[in-house]
Amino acid sequence: MSKLNATDIQGFVLRGYNMPYARYCFLHFEDPQRARELLGKLLSIVTTGQLWDEKPKSTVNIAFTHQGLTALRLPIATLNTFPVEFQQGMKARARILGDTGCNSAEHWDEVWREDHVHAWLGINGVTPEDVAARFDAVNSLLTETNGARCLGTQDAASLVEDGAVTLKEHFGYTDGFGNPDYLGVCRATQPGQGKLDKDGNWTPLATGELLLGYADEAGELPVAPVPHLLASNGTFMVYRKLHENVGTFRSFLNQWSALYGAGDEHAKEKLAAKFVGRWRDGTPIEVSPDGPNPAITQDPNKSTNFKYGDDSTGARCPIGAHIRRVHPRDAFGFDGRLINRRRITRRGLPYGPYAPDDGTITPEQAAQLDAVDRGVIFMALNANLARQFEFVQQQWIAYGNDAHLGNDKDLLMGSHGPGEKYVVQGDTNPSNPPFVCSSLPNFVELRGGEYFFVPSITALGMIVRELVDPR
Amino acid sequence: MANQNGSVYGLTLLCPILNDEKASPSHDLQIRDYLSKLTADSTSPFAIAPGTHLARIVVMDDVVYVGMPACEEHLKSKYLVFESNLDGDLDTYLTGLATTIPEHIDAIWSHCTGYPGCADKAKFVQYMKNCQIETTFFFAAVNDKSVPQTLTALQTQRAVAQFIAEHQGISPAETQRDFIEFLKVLDAAPPLKPAMNAPSRDIKTGGRNE
Repeated sequence: MSKLNATDIQGFVLRGYNMPYARYCFLHFEDPQRARELLGKLLSIVTTGQLWDEKPKSTVNIAFTHQGLTALRLPIATLNTFPVEFQQGMKARARILGDTGCNSAEHWDEVWREDHVHAWLGINGVTPEDVAARFDAVNSLLTETNGARCLGTQDAASLVEDGAVTLKEHFGYTDGFGNPDYLGVCRATQPGQGKLDKDGNWTPLATGELLLGYADEAGELPVAPVPHLLASNGTFMVYRKLHENVGTFRSFLNQWSALYGAGDEHAKEKLAAKFVGRWRDGTPIEVSPDGPNPAITQDPNKSTNFKYGDDSTGARCPIGAHIRRVHPRDAFGFDGRLINRRRITRRGLPYGPYAPDDGTITPEQAAQLDAVDRGVIFMALNANLARQFEFVQQQWIAYGNDAHLGNDKDLLMGSHGPGEKYVVQGDTNPSNPPFVCSSLPNFVELRGGEYFFVPSITALGMIVRELVDPR
Repeated sequence: MANQNGSVYGLTLLCPILNDEKASPSHDLQIRDYLSKLTADSTSPFAIAPGTHLARIVVMDDVVYVGMPACEEHLKSKYLVFESNLDGDLDTYLTGLATTIPEHIDAIWSHCTGYPGCADKAKFVQYMKNCQIETTFFFAAVNDKSVPQTLTALQTQRAVAQFIAEHQGISPAETQRDFIEFLKVLDAAPPLKPAMNAPSRDIKTGGRNE
């Protein structure tokens, strides 16, 4: 394959910046000429994938909705060549994504209810001050050019527990282990992060699963807009604000873990691990079924290096556990080939204040915890929204048939109705019993989001200079 | 053996459609019209006729020319394609179609060349067999069980899952007592019918995700 030009690809696409603070700004273009002027000024500060000699204090990246590209007056012959799901936008895909009931658009934040978000501008920073300084700089460009109106912002930050920055989300699980490796994108590959070969070794996925303009796992070019130069080195991004009902989660875990195994503190943590497939410190339960192990989470050769082939009954990692659902590895057979075109790269951070957990909770406290605005900003990058993100959401989160789980949904992410259950497979060991949780509440609620196109630096320049020519 | 996959038989028919220039609308259009009005739920003819795991009926107009460098070719006739994964032996299945849904079978196949009607079951079975070609691919979701066995297994699975969920933490004696009662109720429950609606899912599914 050809060598990737990291200076042409937005840095956000190639790597997680590992910065604990972020602010996402949602822009609306009112005049295409002035918007292009603004983008021209942003072009010089957008963070690329070029390796850093010295890590910057903050970064800037930008992505556009189809409405935004339309407002920028891209040629109609280009606009119509974008994939249908991107043209429609995430809200119109509600019935495919299961964004119904409490997840439907009438419950979304105001900024997402009308289709007026044209661009996402993401700022990441080492400290809140770094984010604020960069935001001020961007804001003065907005004022100077009058190129866009900022409809709203979303702050996100790593959770701080006992004064220390963590990788946890609000339910207490350590997050951010499972991003795939792609050919040419990663400097070093990590076992468990790519795809399985015939000999059971892990190798990087085809570049075209992440970036437009390169061959994907089927040896095809991903569906992309014309001209090729506009699409190449770009990708598509899913943005979803996922509210976490922390009180509901803690109550549910207390209620059911009292009936699980010995019903003690270890049983509670074990049941929590059985929900997700990792102990709350991140240790994969498949590798370490009896307890968390920091030696595994700290070691990149171990933290993601496992398979489910020897655990077809789900006795160690339940078949419906979150990480087994969204990345089944070898669980479906055929050397994992059924899943290689269903992988996504995740970015994002938690938002809202961390609520300390002393292990007890009353119904009143639970309701108060649920009411606080907190959760996870879920962002996913993929070359094909329908084939990758939407498939995972529809078939593996909101349905269970591929895993022989019938209509069962993902416990934490699923939008649950009456009569649904979560099955924890087990064995004859009394500390690892089979277990069924029923009367499932909704732990996570969608509060808005959209599909974005993340252009390359070249493509951004073409948009700024009105050089997008589909002929 | 081709056509047989474990206990499941794979039937593929290619029946030439009448080419009558005077017919208006043409016979293929009449079949399409009839097929488009068939239901896919428990009132479907293939839910009524016994032994069908999956059936598909398609009008095949011609081979599609895809441009150079392919060469342009045409079929000699339009065909009605019928594919079915079924229980039991072929004679019993075809006789079952002729017995349980004769009006549908006649309405569709009467537009095909040489179709004798299904009133004479021996002639009907022979006609269908004359149109048969070998089946080598099967519907993957059939687990080598008959349609009634599959429906009973689904019913049992749902009921047992619910029983387990409702009896966690309950004493063994009480669980056993309830289970004996549960088995009686389950045994007496009317069997599920083919193509009954699954629990409703508030999600849109479709092959191409569109």
